[in-house]
This record gives sequence, C-alpha cells and structure tokens, in this order.
Amino acid sequence: MTSRAAGLVGACALVGGLAAAAAVLHAGDVGYPATSGTERLLYVRSPSAARHLALSFKGLAADVYWMRTIQHFGGDLRSSRAAGRFELLQPLLALTTSLDPYFTVAYRVGAVFLAMPPPSGPGRVDQAVALLQKGLRASPDQWHYPYDIGFVYYLYAHEYGTAGTWFARAATMPGAPEWIRPLAAETVARGGDRAYARRLLAELVTSDQEYLRQDGRRGLAQVDALDAIDRLQALVEDYYTAAHVYPSSWSDLIRTGRLTGIPADDARVPFVYDPAAHLVLIGSTSPLAPLPLALGPMKPR
Amino acid sequence: MKAYRIRLVAWHVFKESVRDRVLYGIGAFALLLVAASALIGQITAGQDLKIIKDLGLSTIEFAGALMTVFIGVGLVAREIDRRSIDSLLAKPLPRWEFIVGKYAGLVLTIAVNVALMTLALFAMLAWLRWTSPEGVRLSWDAPALDPHLLLVVALTMGELAVLTAVALFFSSFSSSAFWSVVFTIGLYIAGLNSHDLRHFTDLVQTPAVFGRLVDLVGWLLPAFDAFDRKIDVVHGLPVPLGFVAARLAYAAIYAAVALGGAMLVFSRREFK
Amino acid sequence: MPSVVSTDLLTKDFPVGFWRPRPRRALDAVSFEIQAGEVFGLLGPNGAGKSTTLKLLTNLIWPTSGSAAVLGRPPGDVAARHRLGFLPENPTFYDHLTAEELLSYFAGLFGYTGAERRTRASRALEAVGIGGDDRSRPLRQYSRGMIQRVGLAQALVNDPELVILDEPMSGLDPLGRREVRELMLRLRDEGRTILFSSHILSDAEWLCNRVAILSHGRLAAVGTVADLVAQSAAQTTRGWEVVGSGMSSALVDRLRVRTTRATRLGEGRYALELMVGDRPEPIVAELAAAGAVLVSVTPLGVNLEDVFVERVGGAGAEPAGSR
Repeated sequence: MTSRAAGLVGACALVGGLAAAAAVLHAGDVGYPATSGTERLLYVRSPSAARHLALSFKGLAADVYWMRTIQHFGGDLRSSRAAGRFELLQPLLALTTSLDPYFTVAYRVGAVFLAMPPPSGPGRVDQAVALLQKGLRASPDQWHYPYDIGFVYYLYAHEYGTAGTWFARAATMPGAPEWIRPLAAETVARGGDRAYARRLLAELVTSDQEYLRQDGRRGLAQVDALDAIDRLQALVEDYYTAAHVYPSSWSDLIRTGRLTGIPADDARVPFVYDPAAHLVLIGSTSPLAPLPLALGPMKPR
Repeated sequence: MKAYRIRLVAWHVFKESVRDRVLYGIGAFALLLVAASALIGQITAGQDLKIIKDLGLSTIEFAGALMTVFIGVGLVAREIDRRSIDSLLAKPLPRWEFIVGKYAGLVLTIAVNVALMTLALFAMLAWLRWTSPEGVRLSWDAPALDPHLLLVVALTMGELAVLTAVALFFSSFSSSAFWSVVFTIGLYIAGLNSHDLRHFTDLVQTPAVFGRLVDLVGWLLPAFDAFDRKIDVVHGLPVPLGFVAARLAYAAIYAAVALGGAMLVFSRREFK
Repeated sequence: MPSVVSTDLLTKDFPVGFWRPRPRRALDAVSFEIQAGEVFGLLGPNGAGKSTTLKLLTNLIWPTSGSAAVLGRPPGDVAARHRLGFLPENPTFYDHLTAEELLSYFAGLFGYTGAERRTRASRALEAVGIGGDDRSRPLRQYSRGMIQRVGLAQALVNDPELVILDEPMSGLDPLGRREVRELMLRLRDEGRTILFSSHILSDAEWLCNRVAILSHGRLAAVGTVADLVAQSAAQTTRGWEVVGSGMSSALVDRLRVRTTRATRLGEGRYALELMVGDRPEPIVAELAAAGAVLVSVTPLGVNLEDVFVERVGGAGAEPAGSR
C-alpha cells in the first residue's frame, strides 16, 4: 500500500472511531440520564449564565455564592441603612441554588432569611416560598421542603390554613416522621393557638440548623411577649377598675405596687404603654417586633 | 513493535516531568487549596464537609487539567521547537512508538499526581470526621470518607486521559508550543459545554441545518462534561458503576482516536 | 561493492510563503555514492543544501523526487538505524537529564539492557572526553562545547558502521576541534564510514578521502581532494616558494628579479615566491653556493579553498530555485 493510501485508510479509521465514541457517549446518556436536578432552568437568565461560566465547577461556585449570601445577610442585618436593604438576597440565593440544585441548607436557611420581617430581613414570604418550591422541584422526595413551606406560612404569613395544607403534603411523602400528620390536622384546626404555637416552635428549636434554632427561639420569645402583654394589659384594666381612670404611664402602675419596674420583653426592650389608646404594645425598637398578633390566647374548645 | 522502546520513552517522560518545576508549582497550589478548605469551612454555616469535598474534587480536576495541558504540550511541541527530537528520531524508534510512549508516560505522571492529591483530600476528610461530633456527622448527606469519591476520581482520570491525548494530538502537528496550548485549552472549554452543544436544538430556536451542524459538532467533540458527577457524590446521590464503566469506555475510545490522529500526523511530519 | 550511502537524483522542494506557498528548490538532482570505510565530506556555503541532504538521509524529511539508500535500505528503515549514528547540527537534548542518563536512554532504544547498556554509555562518554564528575551533572549546566561532545557520544553509543555528522566542529574551541578530528581519524581507522558536513575546508582536506561540493542545491563537484585540485590546477598554478635563512641582502637583491615576491620573515630570513613555471632547484643551488641555509621548499599548489571558491564563487553557477 502506498503511503498516501495508508494515510487515507488511517483517516477513515479515525473517523469511524469518532463515530464509535459518539455512540458510546449516547448510550451512557440514555442508560444513565442525568438526575432531574441538573435540567436547565431556562426561565431564569443569569443563573443559567452562571452555570455556563462555572464549567464543571458548579458545586464549588455554589459554595462561593452561599458564602456571599451569608455575608450579605449578616452585613445588612448589622448595618442601619434602609434603602436597598437585603436587595441581593434573592438573586444570590437563586444563583446558589441554580448552580447546585441539591444545596439543602441554601434553600432552607435562605427561605428563613427571605421571610424575616423588617428590620431583620426583607420580609418576602412569597420569595421564601418560591425558593423552597424550587428546592422541592429539584428533590421531589424530600419531605422537609413542604414542611419548611408550612412553617413559613405559619410563622411569617400567619396563614394557618395554607400552612396546614403544606404540612399535610409533607406527611404524605416518603420518610416523613409520624408526628407530621397530627401536626397538619391541628394547624388547620387550631392554628391561632398560642399553646399550639409554642409546641411547634419548641420543635423548631431542636432543629439541626443553627439559623432554624434561632428562629424557633425568637418565635418563642414572641409568644412570651404576647403573654406578657396580656398580663400587663390585665394590670392596666385592674388599675382602671380601682381608680376609674386609666394610668398615664408605667409610673402609675409602679406607684400602686402593681409593677416593680418598667416591664421589658425577652430582648430587654421595654414595653410601651400608649396612654391615649390605653394599650400595652411591644417596643418599636424590639427585635421581636412585629408580634404575630393573630395568635390570640388559648381558645376554649 | 517493541514494547521495551515504548516503555523506555514513557519512563523518560515520567522522569523529565518529575524534574520539571511546573509540576511542583501546580502541585503546591493544589495542596494549598485543599488545606485552605479547612479554613473556609468556618464561614459557611457548618458546611465544612461539602466545601472540602467540592474544593478537593474540583482542585484535583483543575490541577490535573493544567498539568496535562502544560506538560503534555511540552512533550512534543517543545521538543520539536528545540530540535531535541532530531537525534531521537535517528534512533531505531518508529515514530508511532514515540507517540505512544509519550502518551503512556504522561498519563503515568498525571495518575501519580492525581493519586497524591486524592490522598491529601482523604487525609483532610479523615481529620474532619475525627473532629466532628456525632450529631453533626449524622446530618451529613454522605459519609466523610465516602468510597464513592474514588469513583469520581476515576471519572476525572478518564477525562484527563482524553485531554492528554488531545494535547498530544495538537502538539504533534502544530509548529509552536504556544498554539498547541491555545488549541487544547479551547477544545477543553468547548468540551465542557458539550451537553449544550449536543442538545442545541432543544435550547435555541435556529434554522434546522445550522442546528444539526452544531449538534454534530457537539457529538464529535470530546465530551469533558460527561465525566462530571461531583455534585451527586457530594450529596450522597448514587454514582452507578455501570455509568462509570460506560464513561471510561468512551474515554478509552476517544483517547485512542486522538492518539491515532497524533500518530498519523506525526508520521507524516517533516522536521526541517 | 555495495555502497554504504547512495543518492540518485535526490531533489527537495520546500513550500515557501503562507497564502500561496511556492516551492523553493533546496536540493536539485544530487547524486553521489559513499563506499565503506570512506571519510566523505559534504561541503558548501550556508544554504547550499548540506543539512537538507543529511536530513533526507536520516528520514527527518522526505524527497520531492529521486531516491536515497542508507546501508542498502531506504532512509528511515528501522533495521538500518541500528547500524548508524547521527549528530544533528547544533544539537539540543533534554535539559533535566544528566549525560549519563541521556546516553543510557539512547542506548536502551537500541535494545541494550542492564550492564551492557551502562558500559556502552560510559564508553561513549569516555571516547569524547566527558569525565566522571561531569557525567552526573544535568545537561542544562553544560557549555556549548560539552553539548557538542555529548552529541558525538550519542552518535557512537551503538558502535555504528556509518556515522553521519552535521557540522561536528561547530561550537568547539581549537582544542576541541583537534580532539574531534582525532576522534574521526580513530573511527576511520576502526573501519567505519563517516559522512560529515562542514564549512571548515582545512578539516575536510585533512580528513576526507572524497568530498562533494554543493552550491545552491546543486552538486558542483565530487571526487578526491587530489583529483579536484588536479582538475583545477590545469587552469591556475602558482609555482613554488623557497624559504631560506642567513641570506645576505646582496643575495636577496640578486634573487629578487627571478621571483614574483620576496617577503622578509626575519633577520636574514626570506620567503621567495618563484615565478610560474620556474623550478626551485636552481634557486636552492644558489642559496647553497652563497652559504645561506635552506629552510623549506613548498609547492604553492591549488588547494581545496581555491577549488571551492572556483566552483561556488559564481562562475557558471546559476542559483537553483529560480522557478
């Protein structure tokens, strides 16, 4: 065979080899399809660009974005500015979770960040729920996503019916613990109960995530504050009953021995007495504000 | 064909690479990065394990790719540039044996370095496991010393074996080391987007002929992104053995094609 | 007797230019033969095609037309390469290896193993004068001259029948050049065939049995030095030179008229260049008669340089590649 013919045969063999390689590649794609979370989320533009830029280092890039999310949240929390506060939170979380669709912590803690009411957060319950729903789409068999959505509706939106529905959905998923089923039922029926809220929050305080535990503690402190306000309001009514006028300030109550000092909530911020409306209120600078006022006291059955 | 000649060339490549300072630079950078992951774990709300695994696996892949490109190109392109190839080709060494020997030597070098970096990663993971309390350990998606990590390292080696063959191919016909590096890196980046190219018509509205062309290019390019299961293994999702076998088979075929191309080109090349 | 090297109308074109490459003819129908045991010099100015010829013979490049045979086989035949050694022009090797390791590597490519491999490497290095301490230094630290020697060593490591050397003297100081010359003579005495290219004509004159002179890719002359000089001598002769000492100025004045030039070399010492056609014997006799001492009588014959300049200089030589 001449050298030229040999070269031609060689080149043909190489082309055949490329075709064989493509066939094996395709067989691998078909036999082992990429798990659902890696499908392209086309409707979100910049995260998809991030996916391309990250090449095959998406997990690492997600970690970087998560770090920036935490830094952004912490930084804005400590700063006193009002304009543009927490504005990057949602985009950063969108990028983090698009780069790594299984990044559980980013979904769960990120939702908490988003739902926190101002000034501690942007107070965007809708974005928090959307984020958790994205996590649910990526991992449809993880019961803690609908559970977390239920919590967001309960704690921040105070929509007890919706919360109950989500708890119920979580209860139907594989691996869900037994106690979620009764939880779902009770939430719908007695969602406004403070005692019930305490039970729910007590469960949150045992979570394995630090931010969720903090959330639980804060919730409990808020319920405590509600209880305290009720008791203080009772003292105000008591004063009126005795003196036929409402107190003008805390001093009146202290003078008459009903209080030993200016009352404060668990965050050591004094409660406020509004002499015009005769109402006890949480201090406006308290980190526990605003209180979930829909949580009325225990209703009789 | 004489195996002893190929072995000799391969061993010589390995020896030269070991003495090449470029290797140490990249290796030091890689080890530093893996060690730094311990610090990074502190500021990520307790995600140490994930970060260390992500960073470790990514560093192994990235450093391996750097070594492949810069040492691999140097193998042939630099030898031709510097004319050190003249005296070698006058020896009774058929040109194709030269190429195969170079390839074997470089793959050996990369494999040794990947093994060392993997050991370092596992050492870090062992330390993390040892210093983490029981409760934290139970919350992990996957164990710290997860043997499935080795499957991902094997996939990375497959990817690098293909990249090595591609680097060798480009340096066998290019007349300068610089251009060989550029072509190889270019093909690497294109290959990392292979999935999108292969499914181009799914993603973009485009005239049929153009779309088909891009699809075809996607199938013919080396699919470097097909070897990536890093996210899955870090989250404890399964990495089936059958999948690993299928991808390694692809790597073997593609590397053989690229090597064949290198042998073909090199045999016909003149050294003025 | 079969020739060790032969070329038959060997031609090589190189494409020049990027957009529309045109062929530049580097070698044009060159034919010559080298017999066993010869020392054959390939001479010519820069760009004449010497390196091109050697590269065609060592399979680094391929001919456009014509053919060549090395040790009875086509160039590039692997079996033939076992019996030949090649030193490329301005060789470079692997910076990170030591001389020992390089030679051992190359020896290994010939199939030698173990002790024999080490011995051969060692002997080759010894033959070119690279001693113990230097052998374990990395080649990166070697001077130009030492690299050249390593190059020679690697060409000899397999005990070749045919040794091809491209500019073996380049980069060497006079001492080094003398050592290489002596090495080449030793190789010739051992019965090897040597083909080398060079600019340095005096070396070629000294060493070669036969030479070929290339000019602009064409073979301008081929034959023994003596034959070439003789062919040339027919056109130009220069005569004799007589050198004497103890010559009185009166004697010099007397002899001066019969010479083309009388050069004073020192006190009483003169070099007399006789006229073309004159024999030196009468002058010698006169010196003796005048009591002067005869130092030397030398024929100012045509030498290789004259042949070279004549063939290459331009008379009748048309540059090849004018297509």
